Amino acid sequence: MNCKTSREVGGMGHSLKRKEDSRFLAGKGNYVDDVKLPGMLHMDIVRSPYAYAKIKSIDASEALKIPGVIAVVTGKDLEQYNLHWMPTLMSDTQMVLPTDTVMYQSQEVAAVIATDRYTARDGKEAVKVEYEPMKPVIDPYKSLDPEAPVLRTDKEGKTDNHIWHWEVGDKDKTSKLFEEAEVVVKEQMHIPRIHVASIETCGCVADYDKVNNHLTMYMTTQAPHAIRTVIALVAGHVGLTEEKVRVISPDIGGGFGGKVPVYPGYVIAIAVSFLVGKPIKWVEDRSENLQADSFARDYHITAEMAGTKDGKILGTRFKILADHGYTDASANPSKFPTGLFSIGTGSYDYDTAFMEADAVYTNKPPGGVAYRCSFRVTEAVHAIERITDRFALEIGKDPADLRMQNFIKKDQFPWKSPTGWEYDSGDYHAGLQKAMDTLGYWDLRKEQEEKRKRGELMGIGISTFTEIVGAGPSKDFDILGIKMFDSAEIRVHPTGKAIARFGTKSQGQGHETTYAQIIAEELGIPAENIQVEEGDTDTAPYGLGTYASRSTPTAGAAAAMAARKLRDKAKKIAAHLLEVSEDDLEWEVGKFFVKGAPEKSKTIQEIVFAAYTNHPQGMEAGFEATHYYDPPNLTFPSGAYICVVDIDNETAEIKIRRFVAIDDCGNIINPMIVQGQVHGGLTQGLAPAMYEELIYDEEGNILNGTFMDYLLPTAVESPNWETGHTITPSPHHPIGAKGVGESPTVGAPPAIANAIVDALSHLGVTHMDIPITPYKVWKVLNEKGIVQ
Amino acid sequence: MKTTINKVFQVSEPIDKVWHYLSDPAKIVTCVPGASITEKIDDKNYKGQVSLKFGPVKSDYSGEIVIEELDQSAHRMILQGKGLDSKGKGSADMTMNGLLTEKDGGTEVNFTMDVSIVGMLAQFGSRLINDVSDQLLNQFVGNFSNLLAADNSAPAATTQAATAKEAAQTSTAAPEAPAPQTDNSLNAFALAGAVVKGFFRRLFGG
Repeated sequence: MNCKTSREVGGMGHSLKRKEDSRFLAGKGNYVDDVKLPGMLHMDIVRSPYAYAKIKSIDASEALKIPGVIAVVTGKDLEQYNLHWMPTLMSDTQMVLPTDTVMYQSQEVAAVIATDRYTARDGKEAVKVEYEPMKPVIDPYKSLDPEAPVLRTDKEGKTDNHIWHWEVGDKDKTSKLFEEAEVVVKEQMHIPRIHVASIETCGCVADYDKVNNHLTMYMTTQAPHAIRTVIALVAGHVGLTEEKVRVISPDIGGGFGGKVPVYPGYVIAIAVSFLVGKPIKWVEDRSENLQADSFARDYHITAEMAGTKDGKILGTRFKILADHGYTDASANPSKFPTGLFSIGTGSYDYDTAFMEADAVYTNKPPGGVAYRCSFRVTEAVHAIERITDRFALEIGKDPADLRMQNFIKKDQFPWKSPTGWEYDSGDYHAGLQKAMDTLGYWDLRKEQEEKRKRGELMGIGISTFTEIVGAGPSKDFDILGIKMFDSAEIRVHPTGKAIARFGTKSQGQGHETTYAQIIAEELGIPAENIQVEEGDTDTAPYGLGTYASRSTPTAGAAAAMAARKLRDKAKKIAAHLLEVSEDDLEWEVGKFFVKGAPEKSKTIQEIVFAAYTNHPQGMEAGFEATHYYDPPNLTFPSGAYICVVDIDNETAEIKIRRFVAIDDCGNIINPMIVQGQVHGGLTQGLAPAMYEELIYDEEGNILNGTFMDYLLPTAVESPNWETGHTITPSPHHPIGAKGVGESPTVGAPPAIANAIVDALSHLGVTHMDIPITPYKVWKVLNEKGIVQ
Repeated sequence: MKTTINKVFQVSEPIDKVWHYLSDPAKIVTCVPGASITEKIDDKNYKGQVSLKFGPVKSDYSGEIVIEELDQSAHRMILQGKGLDSKGKGSADMTMNGLLTEKDGGTEVNFTMDVSIVGMLAQFGSRLINDVSDQLLNQFVGNFSNLLAADNSAPAATTQAATAKEAAQTSTAAPEAPAPQTDNSLNAFALAGAVVKGFFRRLFGG
């Protein structure tokens, strides 16, 4: 990396150690569960064993006999304050606590408040609920049957389980193309329902102060400001207007999108604190987190590609059935019910596409969140990268050659996609070439050919994805009407050290280090002297939070822009101090000097000191700036991933031999942090590819609602990730960065799936749904008579 | 979560006697681990309770037992049970098909149980449910054999020993115990042990 700053300043490109890690490694992190307030009570939640049932009665008498149990709160109690329902981010509605019907297994039924956590749990066990079970709707395809019961009887006039229809692209042109194309391939894919499994589950401490009519909400949220506004909108009628609400998001142990939604537990805690005037702590356990909080994915996709016999891609068509569970509790920008699925035309140069989606209700937990993913991009990338391989297989062309043939060329950017996006920049050929060279691609193809002759199973899978992150430009992007800008406020103290505050919220991404590096790059103040703060709505500027790889594209840009405002001011002060005109000054990292006389200079520290002690007449004193950055476009990171697998032809064990990931996230702020993000993201991409899936039976029981049964890959299962990068700066971003957090999670699953399918393709296999487990492969081998 | 368990076992008693016991809910239920009849509505309908404990999950199901079919000439019965957990943690449904045939001077008992479980138990024990049910049925077989034997005089003791041997793996009442009796209390500890053993046996292909 070429760095403009010295290691001491630590600007962009330096692999600075993460400033936050000293506190995490010393066990000094401060998480929600570390918050302990005087008089604090604890809450536990009674949950439904049924996927669909009427509640006949709730008997709390035994629970209330337990010493220490203070109260048992039901939906009927909340109904008195009109707090038993809440809106979802997608303008649907969701029960906080039910008054008469439960809609999914593990749904909240009642809350037990007690003096300590264990008593609360004992109280929960003692609450007796009488149910009248009903036949649930579990299969999303059956939910649209005319004879299926209408689940959302709470919605007036609802006559079926259909939520919405969405489409984009040119339907007629696409139909015509598919009718006339030389080659059409089609596969039915399921991107399974999975769940964020961050180390820290969700929780809060709601602290309502009756005397001052003020609520402090300590909460595991990725978007504290948005939550404050939502609380004010929902609870304004009981006097909690926005200035009386403070949301504090302390250290977060992983979010990945699972800490964007508002869950009923948070609302119940606020309501109870409001009613009893004491702090209420609620922290869910692992099973509650897996079983009740918003899931991710669960798209059934029919993917088609049309092209020519010699490999030119001409068009794509995707049809989606989205299972949203009981309510549409997605965490998408308001105008995007399928998130940014429309990026699914991929990295290829063609102009015809049509996509449509229908969403349905079922008796499963509501969702879905964008699990380390810019709103359904994972689903889109899986569909396009799988169907691209399918096309290559159909015409007998090497998938690497086919991709090289169809990539959008470097000089075609900015490139307009058939679904309306303007890709900012990219160099897809260079990325794939680098991945192939790193791997020794053609040698491996030869090896594969020889192994096949000997009956050995080996596969190579490619994924060359284009991401879409940094939501987003205010003309299109909002959440509940609030535009998706983000903010930075820099305050430099007289001695030249700074505090910088942001509207985003790190959950492990390393913002305290990377934001400081951006400011160091722009102002020359050493990154170690810049303290970064986020997560307290009383002090941080307003922002929409951290998810969907948006922090660097939005708040990172805001940091650079605010720093540049300060540099402009610094120039004026330097001109004053050096008694020259501003035009005679030149900037070099950390100081202004007089053109042609470099010995005449003022360092940034001298300038800042003057801003407090000797500022020019007529100029505002102090050295502070704020910037709200509204991005002109999204950023489009890309990557070329290649996976090599060996499959044991007796046991069907799948071993990932190599995995090369070449990412292009534009200019890199901290290479070590980027590499760490890529390692973590790849492992979270391996997870759904080979391990994770939430499984429900036809009664709506979740069959793997604990870590006993829900398989997470650990370091043991993870292969040696080989990472690298190409750099194509974003032309519209102030520092040319694009964002990287989710790229590997998005790009890895199709590379792995493509490799496994490739290993079996000579046996006639054209597609396998993820997670591809050894058992699934064994069944294929058994069917083909290779194993008995 | 649904599962089907099939069990075939042999007793050396004559078919009519076995049928006499099997077709009488008051008798047969005493052999079902953790079960009791609380009320007889009529000849075909009863109310009953089943307690089941597995690890941290305890369930007391109360519900109805219906005799759907009782074909004396074919020695065939179909029994249906339906129960809700008393604390609202779930429910269980069971259909049991029983068939008796004469074999080698004794009687062969063929049982099939279709069990459907909803709620906490299904969540927690989805992969152990077959083992649990299997163990319960083994326990039932042991109890049933003991019940039949108990009704006999001393010569039948050999029969009891034989059947008790089979029952031994089911970890029910100590086979050593001389006093023939049915023990239908649920031995959760031994049950869990047997289930875990079964699980690991399968895991290692044993």
